[in-house]
Amino acid sequence: MIFKLKDKFQQTFIVSDKIYKGFIKLFNDNNPLHTQSPFAHHHGFDEKIMHGNILSGFLSYFIGECLPIKNVIIQTQQIQFKAPVYLNDEIFFEAIVDGIFPSINTVEFKFNFRNTDDKIVSKGKIQIGILT
Amino acid sequence: MNKDRVLTRVNEIFRDVLDNEHLIITYQTTANDVEDWDSLNHIQLVVAIEKQFNLRFTSREILGWRNVGEMIDSIIKKI
Repeated sequence: MIFKLKDKFQQTFIVSDKIYKGFIKLFNDNNPLHTQSPFAHHHGFDEKIMHGNILSGFLSYFIGECLPIKNVIIQTQQIQFKAPVYLNDEIFFEAIVDGIFPSINTVEFKFNFRNTDDKIVSKGKIQIGILT
Repeated sequence: MNKDRVLTRVNEIFRDVLDNEHLIITYQTTANDVEDWDSLNHIQLVVAIEKQFNLRFTSREILGWRNVGEMIDSIIKKI
């Protein structure tokens, strides 16, 4: 098994305008919380908030591109969105190996995303299978 | 923990993983008897059982199971 318990992976992401607009173009989620600052202000946010599932996209990138092996597939994923993310926010991602199941070539990570104030904006678990 | 108690707990795991609150498994139950017990759900069942009982199976053990009873025998040996 290439992974060991407590192995740690880190990555920095920026929720760029390209990602934000690309997400809207692809999925057509134009909810005013994501597209109209006055609407977001009215509901207690500093600015229009980014779609939570942009972070799921970063998670996909992490699994697909940042691990030491490529023969991996996401089996399950749980994600909580705990604080807003705004356009151009820099987000620090950290994942730690939290479970190894060698008999079925499965690995579980705990992960979180933090903003520059070190506040957790999202956290969860993701389980991957290693294809043989 | 006796075998019947393990079966009860494994049954709860099956219900949770397979989203079937009425599912009743027995020692003779096989994957062919349970709708949705496919290869992907099998992985989730093994993960859930390993976590619940704080144990790890070997690949050989898993491949050797012919029914729930044999799965439970593996659990009993390790707890």
